[in-house]
Amino acid sequence: MWLSLVGKDVVVELKNDLSICGTLHSVDQYLNIKLTDISVTDPEKYPHMLSVKNCFIRGSVVRYVQLPADEVDTQLLQDAARKEAMQQKQ
Amino acid sequence: MSDSEQGQETEDVSQRQWPENGEQWSDGEDEADMDCGLQAMAEEDEEIDLHNDETFGMDLDANETTGEPRNGLLQFKEPPSPPPLCPPSPIPTSVSKPAAPPSSHCTSPPHRQRPHFLPQVPPGQRGRGRGKRGGLRGDQMFEDPAVMRIVEGRPSLKSLDSAIVECGNAMTRDIFHYDDWMARSYRKTRGIPRSILQDNAIVCVIDGHGGRGHHMTSNFLGLPYPVSSFRGRRGAPRGPYNKRVFTPRGPSQMHTSMMPGSPILSRQPLTPRQHYNQTGAFPFPLSRPCPSTPQSLNPKMMQLRFGTNSPRPSPVYSPSSNPVQHLRYPGPVTQLHPQHKRLLSQKKHASQRKPQGWDPYCNLMTAKEKEWITRLQMIQLQTVSPYLEDYYYQEYYRRIEAKLAEEELGIRSKREPPKLTTPYITKTDSYTPVVHIEGSLGQVAVSTCYSPRRAISAVHAVQAQAPLEEQKDTRQQRLEVLSKIEKLFIVLLEVEEAERMKATAVGEAESRLKEKTQRKVENIYSQLKHHDPSDSGGEFLPFLLVSKGKRLVARLLLFLDRESALNILHVVTSNLPTLMSRDTDESLPVLYPPLRTVIGGLTFSQLIGVLKDLTTSESLTTYECLTLACQNKFGLSLLYALLSQGERLLSSGVPLEPSIGDFEAWTDTIFQVAGQLSQCSLVEPLLLPSNLLTLFCRYLDKRTVHQLKSNMESATGFLALMS
Repeated sequence: MWLSLVGKDVVVELKNDLSICGTLHSVDQYLNIKLTDISVTDPEKYPHMLSVKNCFIRGSVVRYVQLPADEVDTQLLQDAARKEAMQQKQ
Repeated sequence: MSDSEQGQETEDVSQRQWPENGEQWSDGEDEADMDCGLQAMAEEDEEIDLHNDETFGMDLDANETTGEPRNGLLQFKEPPSPPPLCPPSPIPTSVSKPAAPPSSHCTSPPHRQRPHFLPQVPPGQRGRGRGKRGGLRGDQMFEDPAVMRIVEGRPSLKSLDSAIVECGNAMTRDIFHYDDWMARSYRKTRGIPRSILQDNAIVCVIDGHGGRGHHMTSNFLGLPYPVSSFRGRRGAPRGPYNKRVFTPRGPSQMHTSMMPGSPILSRQPLTPRQHYNQTGAFPFPLSRPCPSTPQSLNPKMMQLRFGTNSPRPSPVYSPSSNPVQHLRYPGPVTQLHPQHKRLLSQKKHASQRKPQGWDPYCNLMTAKEKEWITRLQMIQLQTVSPYLEDYYYQEYYRRIEAKLAEEELGIRSKREPPKLTTPYITKTDSYTPVVHIEGSLGQVAVSTCYSPRRAISAVHAVQAQAPLEEQKDTRQQRLEVLSKIEKLFIVLLEVEEAERMKATAVGEAESRLKEKTQRKVENIYSQLKHHDPSDSGGEFLPFLLVSKGKRLVARLLLFLDRESALNILHVVTSNLPTLMSRDTDESLPVLYPPLRTVIGGLTFSQLIGVLKDLTTSESLTTYECLTLACQNKFGLSLLYALLSQGERLLSSGVPLEPSIGDFEAWTDTIFQVAGQLSQCSLVEPLLLPSNLLTLFCRYLDKRTVHQLKSNMESATGFLALMS
């Protein structure tokens, strides 16, 4: 699912309340996220990252990742999750 | 020989490969710093020279060494010119060696040769040179006479070892800190004309000694070396290296020693820059006392030494590794679904007009390195069954492609893009099942790399309690229903999978597959039906009340036979008011398409039966039923569908074989519905069949029809009905 979102715009909300909007570049097994072309979405009262273009976010500090609704097929995702659960049981 | 030639050549090379980077990275400050630094370095150098002289009793003699290594690929062996001064005493993975008595004769050649390797970095050309790495190796090479000849392939450890150890020993007395040693060695070699370093041969040497340099260091300090995996690239027998330990150097030094082979030389380590950033100006650690030389010293020193002039033997160095683009296209090794690739490239084209700011962090890694890392990642992704393990991705893009294909119906060219997926391998390791301690809540957390954390299954615990209690909690019931639905879903997924396989299955296999599928379908159906006899509400109702259940039924309907499907339709229509009232998240419409298909196959009598179900209910009158239906999207759509089917049947001319009373029921229903539709406010249906008005025209007068029409149209918002 993450792979299908590479290249799409997401908003990552961190545990320190910072929200970063950017294009998803890559994700790894720990859900570390690399974003390109980022901007701070909320009023930039939070740490200003004006000069930062790309960032690497450690997975453990992420609270939410807001995905574009039309890019995610929830039913499909449910099926995928079921299949995965099935596989793990075997 | 041409140091000058070489110098030029190197410079060309470096210019080719490092055109603007160096300049642009380091702004003015570096230049200034560099200059001061050089002075400071000069001072230090004197100290070191003194020390060296004391130690080794020889002066640097640059002349002797210049002539030597000009064979393209240097031979790595004991150099004949420094005679068997340092006989290759077999030194095993000699971490413990440092105690060997330094042989002065051994150490002299290195001194002579030292000048070879560390030229001054010309001011104005800075770079994130291969920095430390090169410097490291360079230094060690000086110490080691054997190092003069270096082959790009597999240097013999033994000879190197002995030389290194012996030569280095002299220094170990003072040096307990890797840093210091490094720093010193850099300084020692400061005075050497830079042209020497530009010597390609030297570079090869440095190359070849990527690990060796490190090896030597560790020899001194017995540092363990954690980065064995990186060795793999070269394939050189560098086993011993693996045992080395690093002092917590950080990535810069790891890079230095880790990366064998040419590609690394062209790499610019990030850390020097980081150090720059962190420490502000180009720090000139030389001014500080040696023993406390900080870690950041080394990278900088290396840059001083090796700077931008360092030749880049790597032919594959690609300066234009598409630096930060606003959308980075995954490297050549990543395999994306062709659809995904298309989408990404479209996006890239669209966004590429954006002016590219120059990125100081680009070109950190060569293409080769990037590829290598990507390959490593791909290895992790290898799967036996990509469809199963990455179901979402495969399916999602398949669906998008299918949609596109539909849209492009005109373009008949069925371009079947080669399906690139992650490589498959046969998975040999088995997965250990879940550990569940009796009586505990949930499961024991067993963490593997395939399942970092396992969710606690709440239903497990719930079901354990249920038998004890007579009266079932609604929550428990709900959980049970949900868990059952999940189980059935799994079976359904198998069914769908089988359906997909049908296309590929042939003959015998196909029939077997069909059988299996059928059995599964029946299984699901029966489970849905006979959930719990004691439950009120009838057979399918508990499942239909849950949105997930609705989805399950909707997908199941496609596989059910006529009778079962009809049964479900009956259930739905009979309980429509309940369903509608309890449909909080509006998931009823998901049932509409399959039910419509079912309705499409109804006979007249069946249709009448269904309509009756719809209009009769225990608690509500027909009027109320209909009103409710009209005010619910799904209900209304269902009604329309039924009516439309009736109309179709009637107007098709096929003999209907109605039972007694059918027609009356039919006309009654029509009138009632018409009455309803014209009066109450309608919601927008999911689908508005086109033959409804025709139907009404048949039975009703014009005025009513007009009224109906306007009512229906206002609901749908556009002129959908034919008059």
